[in-house]
Parts: sequence; structure tokens; C-alpha cells
Amino acid sequence: MALVATVLGLVVVTFSMVRLIPGNPVLAVAGLTSTRAERIALTKEMGLNHPYFVQFGHYVNNLLHWNLGTSFADGQPVSQQISQEIGSSLVLAGVSLALVLIVAIPLGLVVAALTQEGRHPRIDMIFTGATSLFGSIPQFLLATFLAFIFAIWLKILPVAGFSPPVSSIILPAVSIALAPVAILSRLVRIETLNVLTQDYIRTARGKRLPTRIIYLRHVLPNVLTAALTLGGVIFAYIIAGAVIIENVFNRPGLGTGLIGAVQQNNYPVIQGIILVLGLIVVAVNVVVDLAVGFLDPRSLNRPNSGAAR
Amino acid sequence: MIRAILKAPGTIFALIVIAVLVGTMIVAPIVLNKDATGLNFSATSEGPNAMHWLGTDALGRDLLARLLVATRLSLGLAFLATLISAVLGLLLGGGVALLPARIRPIGLRFIDTLIAFPALIVAIFVGAIIGAGGKGATIGVGVAGSFYIARVMSALVLSSASRDYILAARILGVRRMRLLLRNILPNVADVLVIVVALGIANSIVFLAAMSFLGLGVQSPQFDWGQLLTEGVQQFYQAPLSALAPAIAIAISALAFGFAGEAVAKSLNPQLWTAMRSIKGPGAMLGTRASKILSQRIPTPSDEKEPALEVSNLSVQIPNKPSPIDIVTDISFVVAQGEMLGVVGESGSGKTTVANAISQLLPYPAKMNGTVKISGRDISTLTKDEFNQLLGTNVATVFQDPMSSLNPALRLDIQLTERAEVHQHIGRRQAREMAIANLKEVNLPAAEGQMRRYPHELSGGMRQRVMMAMGLMTRPALLIADEPTTALDVTIQAQIMDVLKEINQQHKMAIVLISHNLDLVGQNCDRILVMYAGRIVEELSREALSQPLHPYTQALLGALPDISESPDQPLVSIGGQVPDISNRPSGCAFHPRCPMAVERCTTEVPPLLPRRGGAVACWVANKDADNESA
Repeated sequence: MALVATVLGLVVVTFSMVRLIPGNPVLAVAGLTSTRAERIALTKEMGLNHPYFVQFGHYVNNLLHWNLGTSFADGQPVSQQISQEIGSSLVLAGVSLALVLIVAIPLGLVVAALTQEGRHPRIDMIFTGATSLFGSIPQFLLATFLAFIFAIWLKILPVAGFSPPVSSIILPAVSIALAPVAILSRLVRIETLNVLTQDYIRTARGKRLPTRIIYLRHVLPNVLTAALTLGGVIFAYIIAGAVIIENVFNRPGLGTGLIGAVQQNNYPVIQGIILVLGLIVVAVNVVVDLAVGFLDPRSLNRPNSGAAR
Repeated sequence: MIRAILKAPGTIFALIVIAVLVGTMIVAPIVLNKDATGLNFSATSEGPNAMHWLGTDALGRDLLARLLVATRLSLGLAFLATLISAVLGLLLGGGVALLPARIRPIGLRFIDTLIAFPALIVAIFVGAIIGAGGKGATIGVGVAGSFYIARVMSALVLSSASRDYILAARILGVRRMRLLLRNILPNVADVLVIVVALGIANSIVFLAAMSFLGLGVQSPQFDWGQLLTEGVQQFYQAPLSALAPAIAIAISALAFGFAGEAVAKSLNPQLWTAMRSIKGPGAMLGTRASKILSQRIPTPSDEKEPALEVSNLSVQIPNKPSPIDIVTDISFVVAQGEMLGVVGESGSGKTTVANAISQLLPYPAKMNGTVKISGRDISTLTKDEFNQLLGTNVATVFQDPMSSLNPALRLDIQLTERAEVHQHIGRRQAREMAIANLKEVNLPAAEGQMRRYPHELSGGMRQRVMMAMGLMTRPALLIADEPTTALDVTIQAQIMDVLKEINQQHKMAIVLISHNLDLVGQNCDRILVMYAGRIVEELSREALSQPLHPYTQALLGALPDISESPDQPLVSIGGQVPDISNRPSGCAFHPRCPMAVERCTTEVPPLLPRRGGAVACWVANKDADNESA
């Protein structure tokens, strides 16, 4: 129910975008030097000559047929541009997400194990310092620093574009992933420390199970449920990161497409890309909710949790 | 509060950085404007030199001057964006919180949905509607930042709106808006300060990102983001021209973020002290325990190895200037199949004794003395032998069954893993054992329970599961630490019955730890009474009606007696259990003891055998001397 409302809200917002442009949207699109005839033609093309609700009906109807309009820049269908660009963006986001999960969860667990009950205060200090630094440096600045170090100074990684495919994704993915790694590993550590003080861990310790079993079987599932609730936020972070990092490293994708469109007032493309990004975010949140329900048996029995979705 | 804020490490530094930034913001454009914007074609694209510390750009403008001048626009727009966020967030969050209760969840859900979308993309979207440029970027960043503030505000307003004075105002018919501004806002102002400081940090970053993407401030105006963009274009020739604005953005965002966090920490001191307290309490130790003769209690007349033998057990927490003794010089023996009770008020150290036996002492507590389990001194074992011995021979049932089982795991895994790991029993056989054990502790529908999660069981059922778990490897010793305290009275009796049955059926020794003298007296063969980390009396069940130690007498006197008239006031022991870090000298009970003599205040009484038991009391043992004399 809420899912339908969210998607509907997303459609309304993207639809309303052109209508919300202050002043005359046609003028904004066509430019001040356009002739009257050009503006009338454009008004028709944008469908602005119809009443509001008719326009919305058209928009929704078109969406259902995966018709996102045509780009002002080259007259190509927006859907075509998006399907060309989405692949590389999804790869970048996917690699970054994998990087975040592979690094942050073990890192948080290990640091928690080392620093529990005030042990190894120095490791604690270094970890807290490093994560608060990397967690608060914006991704595009990090990208700038990393590009300087690895592409310009050490000259071991390419700085822009797609080739070669593997090494060219390292810098962008790392730039996107570092901040979420810092945030997530901090959360995992705090959650782990919290779990380690729980009575049921004392029970497990009392059984004298090997450390491996205590951490993997008894600690990790309890930590993961908490970490997963942050999954939506982390993914939103990665999506935003991908948009900006694509521009830093000049990788064609939805991010570069979006910024290019904004600079050209190419409204159909902006609408389309925002809608697609929004849908991805919604989809990921649904997946996260399902995963939390799967991992945490209690959430299934909790009243209202099923009804809220 | 202000002092607390300043105390947080690095805060002063952050505040100095902010002061310098604000100063630069005001002064730099006045002083340096000519250097920053005046074209100078005789000095284009210079590297760093004495005249131009960061070099010059393609039009010969001094980069350092441009960086400093840009502070005003960068920070100014960030402040403006944060102001927009704060106002929008307050209205949205406060408004939703004050909605009628029926539709409020929809509003809260709406805010949650907004937050789920990446802020930067929201900013780009809004910026695109308004048009690329300083105005669009600022409003975009402001709108994007408002969702988070709205979330915080709605939560805060909701929690404070349920307070009495707000309810009173509502009953008086104060209108919602007025309520928000007059009554609620002042109470959430401190949190607002934090949110705004963090908001400024975010705005700086997002605005720079917008400029960097070409959607922010447009030429000829310039902010840090734009300088960064210009710098990146000539990254290879002059990396400093990109690094300098990048560093400026990072440092100023960090400074505001840090200041916000510092305020947050000082406002939520519980969390902070909880983190710090691990380093040790400041209180120092009063007791300078004199070394007294080793307290050996005669082993019960049983030829076999005792299930548990504890000698001279002490537990300390390292502390400066001197360590804190939690448990001092404790010795006792538990014969096979015996049921021993340990009684004491909270803080007497009885749980620490249990933890020391099962080697589950919380860090950094240190144990001294010997613990022998089934005749084997655990300090002489290798790590594997130790785990094997403890894993199979000692089981523990803890006080709170609600939290002692892992909520994320099904019962079958938790029941079987001990036998699987230590005895290499296959899963199927271990499952059968587990089901048999569940039946033995009278858990209804034992087989069906195996696939359930702990939260599906009641407290009494969980405690039965804990006992079944303890039975798995047929240990020689079961430690039951307040096993019935968290349960209601009818369940208590059932659990005690199961414990007794286990004790008799399997000849399993049980150490029953409790604050309840009555419960222990009814169930145990022998009883140890602990006070302030020491055993003060050891006695048999029969001797319990006439204890020798004044403390045991007081405990006994404090038991409510149903035969007495209900009008009779309950007797309680005067005074309090001494603080663990500040125990009295001599006999720790002397400040509360009606019979204390001079000697009790200075010398610790030794635990001496008396009437088949033992007692540590100068007065009681003096009587004994007289008796024997």
C-alpha cells in the first residue's frame, strides 16, 4: 500500500517538475531568443496546451508503455538513452555496494572483537578517527584526492573513461564506497559491541564454542539485522555517489546523463532519469525490508510490521 | 553545559577553525577582492611562488586570494541553505507531529519516504526546476536537507508533546502553531543547535558538489566548488589548484560537523560516560585486607573427586591507585551430586564467584587462586583441554531466561551445538538427546519446540530450555545463578522442582546462587553465606535455624513469616550493603552489626570451623573459645 503511494508520489513529483518551473517553462526551454512560432510549437510538443489532468493522464499512460518522451537535445526517446546509460551505472553501483559489504562488515566485526570491553584503546582510536574522517569527506573530494594520488602521482590507475574496464572502475568504486564503508563499519562495530555484552553471548561463551562459531553463528546474525536496516540509507548514498562520481571520472552513465540534461534544461531526460533513480531506491528499500524480515525472526511476529508495508 | 562541550577533545580546535572561517568570510572579500578578480595577463597559470602561494589561474588571478574570497559565498550560501532546511524541516516535522493522531502515521511515513531518497539527487532535481545557478543550488540543498531535520523534529516534538505541560496547554485550547512555537520549540532548541551545525556541514559539501557539477554558482561568481572544478581541469599541470579548494571544503565541513557532534556528546552524557567508565571508577579501595590464614573447610566425607573445588579464590578489577577486590579469598568444595546454596545480598560477590568458576569473568577482572573441576586444576590445562573440560563438565543457567537465549537462532541449534562441538556427536543424535532433555525438564510438546525461536516461548519455558541445554553433555556441575528470580512465583516452584530432579536423577552437583535464603534453605544440602566478597558463614540445612553469624541471623530475621500477624512490620537489615570500592575495614559487616566490638573494626575475622560448618565472626568465635575452654 505504502509502496504504491510512494511510486505514485514519485510519478506525480516528476510529472509536476516542468509545471513547477518558475515563470514560463516554454521560455525556459526554448531560450529568450526563440521566436513566437517556435514557442507555440514547443508548447504543443510538451503537451502544455492541454488541461493539467489530461496532461497527467497522458504522462501516466506513456509511462505504462515505457515511453518517457523524447530528448530535447537529439530527439531520441528518453527510454532509449536511459537503457544505454543504466548498465554502466548499475555496474558501478553494484561493484561499490559489493565493496562496501565485503569490507565494512568484517572490518566492523574484527575491530569490535579487538576493542571489546575497552581493550586495545589505540586500535579503537585509530578506527574511530579514520572512520569519522572518511565518513565525512564528501565522495567527490575523495575522488579528487584519490585521482591525484593514484592517477597523477603514482600513475598506476587510469583517471577517466572506461578503458581498461577493470582498472578503470577501481578509483570510481573506491571513491563511492569509502564513505559508506566508514559509516557501515562503525555501525557494525557498535552493534557488535552491543551484541557481545548480551546475555546470550555469555551463554554461548559458557558453552566454550570456538571463537569462529561464536562470531559467525551467534554474533553475526544479530549484527546483520541492525546493519541491514541501514541498508537503504547506504544504498541511497551509493546512488548519489555514483551520480557525482561518474561526472568526476567522466564515465557515461545515468549520472553524467542527468547532469548534462540539467545543464541543457533537457526536461524530459531529467524527468526520466529522476524517475528511474527513484524507482531503484524504492526497489532496494523493499528488498532490504524483505531481507530484514527473513533474517530477524522477531520482525515477522511483530504486530503492524506486515501491515505497514 | 558549555564547559562540558569545551571539554570534549578537539572541540576547541573545531571552534577556532569556525572562528577563522567566519573571520575570513567577512574580511577577505574586502581586502583581497582585487587580487581575486583582477585580470593579470603577465602572470597567467603560474605555479606556486613567493608572490602567489598557490599560483595563478589561466587569467592571472591569484588562487589563494580567490580561495579566501570564495569563503564568503561558499559559507554564506551554506548558511542560507541550512536556514531554508531548518525552517522547512521545522514546519514539516512539527506540522506532522501535531497532526491528529489518526492521520499522523501517514505523515511520519511520508517523511520517512522522503529521507529514503538520496539528498544530492533531490537537490539536483529541485535545482533543475529553479534553474542552474546559486539560487537553484541553495534552494535545492536547503530542501534536500530539510527532510532529515523534519524527521528529527517530528520525533522530538512527539516525545515532548506527550509531556504534561504540553497536554495542559492543549486542554486549554492553545492552537497548534502557537503550541509549536511557544511551548515546544524552546524545549527542543538544544537539539536544534546540533542539527543545524551538522546541517551546515552537509550544506557546505552539497553546495560544493552542486558547483562542481556545474549546477551551482555560475561564473563570474565563484565558490569553492567552482574553484575545484577549474582546478580539476588543470589537475595534471597544477594539482594544488584543485587540492586547495578541496581541502578548504573538507576542513570547514569537518569543523562544523565536529562542533555539532561535540554538542551532541555533551548533551547526551550517559552515552559518553558509559563509554568512559570502562576505564575504571575513580573511587579507591578502603580495605587493606590483611593476609589471614588459608581457609580450608573439611571436604565432605566422600572418597571420590569433588565436582568442584575452589581454593583461595580472589577476583580483582585493576584500578589505580589500588585494585578493587570483588571477591576475597574464598574456598569451598562441592561434592559430586551435592546441591550447594550460595546466599547474599546483591553486591556480595556471589555472581562473581559463579563467573569465576565458569571462567566467564567480564574484562578486565582478574582471578587468583585455584579452581578444580572434577579434580582437574583449570590453570594447568592447555587451551583445548580447558575448553573441552569447561564445555562438557560445567553448565550454567542464568538469571534472565528472556535474554540468555540467542534471539536469531532456532532452539535446536542452540541445544545441540555444545554436544556437536565438544563430543563430536552427529546432528541427528544430538537432536534426539536434546528432545529427550526437553522432555526431562517437562517442556510441553518437546519435539515441536526444536524449530521455534526463543521469542515464541514464555520465560518459564525458556528457563526449562536453558536447563535442558545444561543437561546436554551430562556435566558434573551445574551453576544456577538466580535461576528463578526473573520468573513469577508459581513458575519458580516448578523450576526448582526440575533442578532438584536433575540433581537426584543424574547425580549432578548444583551450585544454586540466590539472594533468597528461604529458597536455598529449602533446596540445598549446604549453604554458604556471602557478605562483601567473603564467605562469612558455612552451614548445613539443619543448622540454618540457628545461625552463628549476626549477618545470617539478620537475613533469617528479615524473612517474612506467614504465621505472624500481617500488621507486623517487615523486618529489614539496617544500613546498606557497602559499596564495592569502599568496603569497611575489619569485618565488613561491622557498621551494621548490633554485636560489633572494637576488634571487628580493625581485623578481618577468619573463617573457622564450628559445629560442622564454619563462621567468620570475632564475637561468635570468642563464644566458641569460651565454650571449648
